[in-house]
Amino acid sequence: MESMTQFRVAAEAAGAVLVECQHLVEAVTFIAERAAGDLLLPGSVSCHRVRLAEQLRGAGLNMLPVTRDQAAEAAAGVTSACFAIADTGTLVLESTAEDVRLATTLPTRHFVLLDRRKIVADGLAAVEPLRRMHQQNPRNYIAYITGPSRTADIERVLTIGVHGPKELYILLLDDWSEDLLEM
Amino acid sequence: MSLPEGKKMNKQRSKAYQVRIDKALATPRLQQALHQFGDAYLIAREKAFAGLDFEALRQEIGAMKDDVRLNHEKYLQQFIANAQAAGATVYQAATAEDANRYIADLAKQQGVKLSVKSKSMASEETHLNKALEAAGITPLETDLGEWILQLSGQRPSHMVMPAIHMFKEEVAELFSRETGRTEVADIPHLVEVARQQLRQGYLDADMGISGANIAIAETGGIALVTNEGNARLTTTLPKTHVALVGIDKLVPTLEDAAKVIRVLPKNATGQALTSYVTWIRGAIPGGDGEKDLHIVLLDNGRSRLAEDEKCCDTSRCIRCGACANVCPVYQSVGGHVFGHIYIGAVGIILTAFFHGLDNAAELVKACIGCRSCVAVCPANIDLEGIILSLRETIADKEGLGVGKSLVFRKVMRNRKLFHSLLRAASKLQKPVTRGQRSIRHLPHFFSSLTEWRTLPAIADRPLRDIWPGQNLQAPQKKVALFGGCANDFLYPELGSDLVEVMNHLNVVVDYPQKQNCCGVPALYSGDKETAVELAKQNIDALLEGNPDAVLTTCPTCTMALQRDFVEHFKDDSPWRAKAEKLASITVDAAGYIVNQLGAADQFADLPLAQKVTYHDSCHLKRGAGVWREPRQLIETSGHQLVEMDHADRCCGFGGSYSLTSHPDIARKILEDKLQDIEKSGADCVAMDCPGCMMQMRGGLEKQESRVRVTHTIELLAAGLRAK
Repeated sequence: MESMTQFRVAAEAAGAVLVECQHLVEAVTFIAERAAGDLLLPGSVSCHRVRLAEQLRGAGLNMLPVTRDQAAEAAAGVTSACFAIADTGTLVLESTAEDVRLATTLPTRHFVLLDRRKIVADGLAAVEPLRRMHQQNPRNYIAYITGPSRTADIERVLTIGVHGPKELYILLLDDWSEDLLEM
Repeated sequence: MSLPEGKKMNKQRSKAYQVRIDKALATPRLQQALHQFGDAYLIAREKAFAGLDFEALRQEIGAMKDDVRLNHEKYLQQFIANAQAAGATVYQAATAEDANRYIADLAKQQGVKLSVKSKSMASEETHLNKALEAAGITPLETDLGEWILQLSGQRPSHMVMPAIHMFKEEVAELFSRETGRTEVADIPHLVEVARQQLRQGYLDADMGISGANIAIAETGGIALVTNEGNARLTTTLPKTHVALVGIDKLVPTLEDAAKVIRVLPKNATGQALTSYVTWIRGAIPGGDGEKDLHIVLLDNGRSRLAEDEKCCDTSRCIRCGACANVCPVYQSVGGHVFGHIYIGAVGIILTAFFHGLDNAAELVKACIGCRSCVAVCPANIDLEGIILSLRETIADKEGLGVGKSLVFRKVMRNRKLFHSLLRAASKLQKPVTRGQRSIRHLPHFFSSLTEWRTLPAIADRPLRDIWPGQNLQAPQKKVALFGGCANDFLYPELGSDLVEVMNHLNVVVDYPQKQNCCGVPALYSGDKETAVELAKQNIDALLEGNPDAVLTTCPTCTMALQRDFVEHFKDDSPWRAKAEKLASITVDAAGYIVNQLGAADQFADLPLAQKVTYHDSCHLKRGAGVWREPRQLIETSGHQLVEMDHADRCCGFGGSYSLTSHPDIARKILEDKLQDIEKSGADCVAMDCPGCMMQMRGGLEKQESRVRVTHTIELLAAGLRAK
């Protein structure tokens, strides 16, 4: 199966929502429609490059400073992803900077911008970029995220959104970033 | 390993254990939940592994973990050096107390009042919460299941789903007490309550405590495999992060970690991958500076386990919990009975090494030996074999008990005495058998044994006394039958039927008279000495006539001849060669017909066709790897084969398990099997094991069912006779 198709099937099976975007403006509009409150936008090379903050603000969204106190008040986090893993529908986020972790753990919704070209086949194929991330950042916190937060701890009934985000949106873009290590 | 002195304490322990079994068996809702989970798990697991070669994956993990065990010091030092270079403080804790003291002291030094925890079995193992509370620190469990258990003062009953034994009504009651409101027993609502209640904890806590699923030597980092997101919060928000890591979690490289992650969630819950895999290496930024990361490497019996000649393969375990998911004993009594802190098959072994042999002594006996755990283990551990060896260790320390000791050592080893006693018993049983082949009621003290199944009477004349003469002109093969006690003394007609079936294929069958019990009852009770003596008698008896093959009609005997005998003599070269020779020519009857003679079609379209369902005996399918062959024979001979649900689930026989040690659990497992048989709509249930026949025939007769029980060989012989 083509890796994009495989990624879509696996990510949707895990409860993520995939959104096809031709241009960044569609992604911005989608976020504006779904955010339902203030945003957290942690520092990111790729987001900065396209001045995402300005575009989101232009769409009427408010961004809170990504601090411990404020992060808990936000409705959604917006981040990029370094790359994705096709067979399990997983996003890989370099999360060493604390603001990335706050923005992806506390709010109810998480929007992730992903370049369609950055999909590797499986967990073993992910090791090569993972190792390079370790070399680039000797102290690190790297997150594999597959679908929203879930639990089956009460009577084994699958329930979405226990401690982490309840909704995970993957916004697929072209020409966003080619570098597997870039967030 | 230490045991308390005195048999009195052991008796008290056994009695207390029996009380817990009775209580669990009287909770049908728990059994139902665990059965449903077991069914759903198998379906999800199969889907998760679709397109992958599970056998190859587990070989690979087994080999990788063996490398870690054999080079443990090297990988451990590599891990420590890399973790320290990345700014982590590493502490090596020899014992549980040691680990707890370090963490509690650290918390006190840092003035910690509240500590949030993500799920960690290692912290359950060390009873860390108690140690923290004693030091004035409040531990707050944030994993939903663990929090429920903390509120109710219980311990986990499953390694991956700790509160699997609890129901939403109980959870609602606990949560209502916590919030001071009335929380309804609606699962999404209860999950939301947990989210709201625990949220402030992460922000207020000064210390986050996690476990680790993997420790990677190459990087000095750890990986956490989780679903809820609480581990991410626990390792992000508080200033200090303490990771309590068992030293058996080490892997050499990131590739090895990826291989563990590929298998762990699939085998644990049937998920392709958990929501989160979190890789943490060193002291990362946090707040105004960097976080304070402490890695506590816990030994607490792991080195001893790794060095134990018989049990060391257990160091391969990746803690997926699958051995419990598929265990019929676990499904009958749950993890609070079939476990100490760690539960299920691997839990028995871990308990012996982490919490002392005394805590494992009852659990070791509660394993029925069906090997369903071995079939799903992702690290290729022969859990059943290791549990057997622990049983031997316990029997050596505690003794076998007067009765077993007398039977095994004085009677069974002396074949003539053993067999004359069986012959005498066949006469003495007359008052209870009333001349029938089944005993429906036993008197007085033994009456509970025939409450739920009949028992077969000892035959008037054993197989060895009625062995039929055979006149084959030019037999193509000359084989010997190893009958085993059941075929010889309970079901002699099965042996005559085998002769009929083999003669039909122009194969002559001999019954070496000096053969004795295969030794499994002694071995499974921990009396290896008797098992070895019996093995010697049997090897000599069976090889004497130089047969082309040694056939068996009982798969447990097959395993003894193929596996146990070779194991007994692995360091005894003259006997080893003989044992290996015997193992190489031993084969179950159905496998011999189909695979070695290629003669299934010799039974094509026999008369007496009926609707037959097939029960896979544990040791035939998961020991000898035979399950297609009997089905092929049944179908070829003209019967309609209808599969029952859970065809390869244990029937609950387990030899002395159902007779003396755990008849109550055996009864429950049999009930499940009988339901599946009845549901299949078959007229007849076929199998290839006299033990299973005893159990199922006993149960079906007691229920006055119309379904008949037969050995596949008997089915073929009946067809031949009617032709």
